[in-house]
Amino acid sequence: MSTTNTNSGTPVPVFEVLDATYRYRDVTALDHLNLTVQAGRRLALLGANGSGKSTLLRILDGLCFPDEGTVRFCGKLLTEESIQNDGFGVDFRRRVGLVFQNPDAQLFSPTVFDEVAFGPLQLRWPPDQVRRKIAETLEMMEITHLKDRSPHHLSMGEKKRVALASVLVLDPEILLLDEPTAALDPRSASHMINFLVRAKGGDRTVVTTTHDLDIIEDIADDCLVFHEGRVEATGTPAQILGDAPLLKTSGLLHSHLHVHKSGEIHTHSHLHRHEH
Amino acid sequence: MHIPDGYLSPSTCAALYGAAAPFWYVALRKTRKLLLTRLVPLISVFAAFSFVIMMFNIPIPGGTTAHPLGAGIASIVLGPWASILTLSTALFIQAFFFGDGGITALGANCFNMAIVGSLVAWLVYRVVAGRSAITSSRRVVAAALGGYLAINGAALCAAIELGIQPHFFKSASGAPLYAPYPLNIAVPAIMIGHLTFAGLAELVVTGGIVAYLQRANPSLLRLTAPGVPLPQEETQQATMTGWRVARPLWTAVGLLMVLAPLGLLAAGKAWGEWSVHDFADPAARQQMAAASRNVAPPAAAPSGLERLSDIWTAPFPDYLPPFMRSAAFGYILSAIFGVGTIILLTLLASWIALKVRPGLDHAPASTKES
Amino acid sequence: MPAKRSGTRGFLERSTSSFVDAMEHAFYAEQTARADGLLQRVDPRVKLVGILALVAAAAASRSFAVIAGLLAIAIALAALSHVSFRVLVNRVWVAVLLFTGVIALPAPFVTPGLVIWHLPLLGWDVTEQGLASAGYLVLRVETAATLCVLLVLTTPWNHVLKALRVLRVPAVLVTILGMTYRYLFLVLQSAHDMFESRRSRMIGELTGRERRRVAAASAGVLMSKTFDLSNEVYLAMESRGYRGDISVLDEFQIRNFDWVMLGAFALVSIAAFWLGR
Ligand SMILES: Nc1ncnc2c1ncn2[C@@H]1O[C@H](COP(=O)(O)OP(=O)(O)O)[C@@H](O)[C@H]1O
Ligand SMILES: [Mg+2]
Repeated sequence: MSTTNTNSGTPVPVFEVLDATYRYRDVTALDHLNLTVQAGRRLALLGANGSGKSTLLRILDGLCFPDEGTVRFCGKLLTEESIQNDGFGVDFRRRVGLVFQNPDAQLFSPTVFDEVAFGPLQLRWPPDQVRRKIAETLEMMEITHLKDRSPHHLSMGEKKRVALASVLVLDPEILLLDEPTAALDPRSASHMINFLVRAKGGDRTVVTTTHDLDIIEDIADDCLVFHEGRVEATGTPAQILGDAPLLKTSGLLHSHLHVHKSGEIHTHSHLHRHEH
Repeated sequence: MHIPDGYLSPSTCAALYGAAAPFWYVALRKTRKLLLTRLVPLISVFAAFSFVIMMFNIPIPGGTTAHPLGAGIASIVLGPWASILTLSTALFIQAFFFGDGGITALGANCFNMAIVGSLVAWLVYRVVAGRSAITSSRRVVAAALGGYLAINGAALCAAIELGIQPHFFKSASGAPLYAPYPLNIAVPAIMIGHLTFAGLAELVVTGGIVAYLQRANPSLLRLTAPGVPLPQEETQQATMTGWRVARPLWTAVGLLMVLAPLGLLAAGKAWGEWSVHDFADPAARQQMAAASRNVAPPAAAPSGLERLSDIWTAPFPDYLPPFMRSAAFGYILSAIFGVGTIILLTLLASWIALKVRPGLDHAPASTKES
Repeated sequence: MPAKRSGTRGFLERSTSSFVDAMEHAFYAEQTARADGLLQRVDPRVKLVGILALVAAAAASRSFAVIAGLLAIAIALAALSHVSFRVLVNRVWVAVLLFTGVIALPAPFVTPGLVIWHLPLLGWDVTEQGLASAGYLVLRVETAATLCVLLVLTTPWNHVLKALRVLRVPAVLVTILGMTYRYLFLVLQSAHDMFESRRSRMIGELTGRERRRVAAASAGVLMSKTFDLSNEVYLAMESRGYRGDISVLDEFQIRNFDWVMLGAFALVSIAAFWLGR
């Protein structure tokens, strides 16, 4: 529906990253990276801590710009200047939403209500529409009762839900999620997964970063394994999960000492899977 | 040094809100231009930090502890204008939410601590640090000295504000209505504590943080340190914006210079011994006129002004013409001196800003630098 | 009360306890602001303007009776708004007495005026004017502090901030104040955790110099964290379409009850100004 089509009729990818390099002074976070995100797909970016996942999401969201290489959004070049441009910038912000890894940074308003209202108010929606849409979103995320609370007093699970709500309220076509289940206890995490599966709705494009192998089958059609700022492998969740050596070298699969009932201590690799 | 409600007369409070307003205005204009969309998050989060730093107990030589103000470090890291906004925000929340410092006295507290504190710290730091390297120990000394003088400058302002209260504001029987101690008690009483304990705490914190940042995060010290000179045209632009934005400040300072003495004198009358009716009464008018020229017998002169005249006329020898020994003259003169000093300091500050660092038009911390 | 702890643990402990105090104050304020009392029902704008007018009247008054009357009104309002008397005494009155009371103590002896009493033994003169001035100071400070605390204890803080819009405070400043308050607790918590962990690791006594270094380094660490946080907040705002102009929802509605309260505030403060001339 929203996908732009070129005249020739071939679908233009939502995001197209070509040979992008990004450095934080002496750290190279992205190293000649290539990536294509097709409309309507759900993509999981897998990688250990520090592999550059968050940096990539910030680049996709037009918050940072690569030092080398290019990023295109629906065929248009994404640069500092093009984002400053009112027409493109506002449209881009409305269509792409990023949920940050750290909800304390994302939740900057005095109350949950104000937080969810922030995006719509910035986009100058009329007040009545703002109120209606907030009520709907709070209801959907089951956080209506937290409406007047200060984000500081919320639990981690609640914070993450509010952060998601503050982005979903804008109905973005493209949703970027940075570690949505990190730092959550198993119950809050599975709760979050339910929301994410529901939030997929229609033909929304979703890019999720995670190092949690348990969730990728639920949230992704395609996977991309990241290691030290490069793409190490791509494939379906099943293919990736089946490739233990790959997961091990990219730091996603760990092995550590275990004590078994017999009292025997040994090392083996570990892949937790939930029963459904 | 947070002055609570009730220590300053409403007219003093209003005058200090008035004095702070142009600084707030210019600070907001300048930082908006400088920081663009970064303004809100930077000022907010840093104000939260300033608030918390004021709760630190800093061990000072001699085994005791004191709370720092943090004006010095805010000014060194953010520059004076952003620092004024940051500290004012912190003081606002302290006053309204935590009852620390009065609401009517908020203008005074912001003037003393946020405005005078930030400007003094920045000026001293820039002058003493000169063009030394970011990691040079001269910067630590400059910061420590800047912090020390900033808190003492702020304390001196507070002491003067408190000290003039009993001179101007008395009940019919002559009892001081607000802070009861005159300048000769208030100034030494407040300054002794600040020249020692509080000043030392500020010195330790400001110097110590700068020393820490030199090792751990030197990029935070870049804003107020001399950097690479910008291309010529950008320098020019910076100069022009600087002057254009600062124009309302100069206008306000000029107005203040003219109005403050008159306003405070009028306040002295209104809140002193003369009631509004006296203005209509020819006899009373004559008395007032006489009193202000120090011709009438002392008993008829308002006691607040009379007392003040003792202080202000002290430096003027007796052989000067009588009008030069009057309280009104002394007061106007001192107000002009005071405002003149502020203007000179600000001019000096702008001059140094342009000399030492041609363009300050850099956000203090862009994503990549921090 | 035990003597102040000095030494290494002492300064960390004192800092941590002031952090805890601040958090407790905020917690209590949030609790009472949600209670169902008289002031809680008043529109925050009316309350803000009304209480500021009473504070101004107390500051301007030259009559003891008027200031005392305003204090009585403040106490009555507190009682009608479920603000406990004990809290007023502990958090406001005793605190004020410990500070302002001590400051006012020498005033009766140093203020010139009519001598009404001779202090036995020391032989100091107590003047009528000096006593009156100490009285003015303490009474005025108590009254203003009581009124101010009422505002905060009966109004959610974000409502106080939004109410500032009626005083023509620009939206960008209101947003800054709201965000400062929100991050205040994060920074407080962070400072608290840092000091606690330092404290638990501290075994021997540090020299004065080392202690100062620990304090300054803690502040430095906190400041670096502050900058990282502000950068991330900035990105989060930008991501949701923030381009430098703040727009806010003004969502309060004035009802009849608010007009009545506004009238009452106006009446009392005008009367107090008039009587206290
Ligand atoms: N603001 C920053 N300043 C300096 N280095 C950073 C910053 N943010 C991230 N990095 C570094 O960049 C690399 C990639 O980080 P990030 O994108 O956050 O990875 P991930 O999200 O996969 O954990 C890491 O080595 C990290 O230390
Ligand atoms: Mg990350």
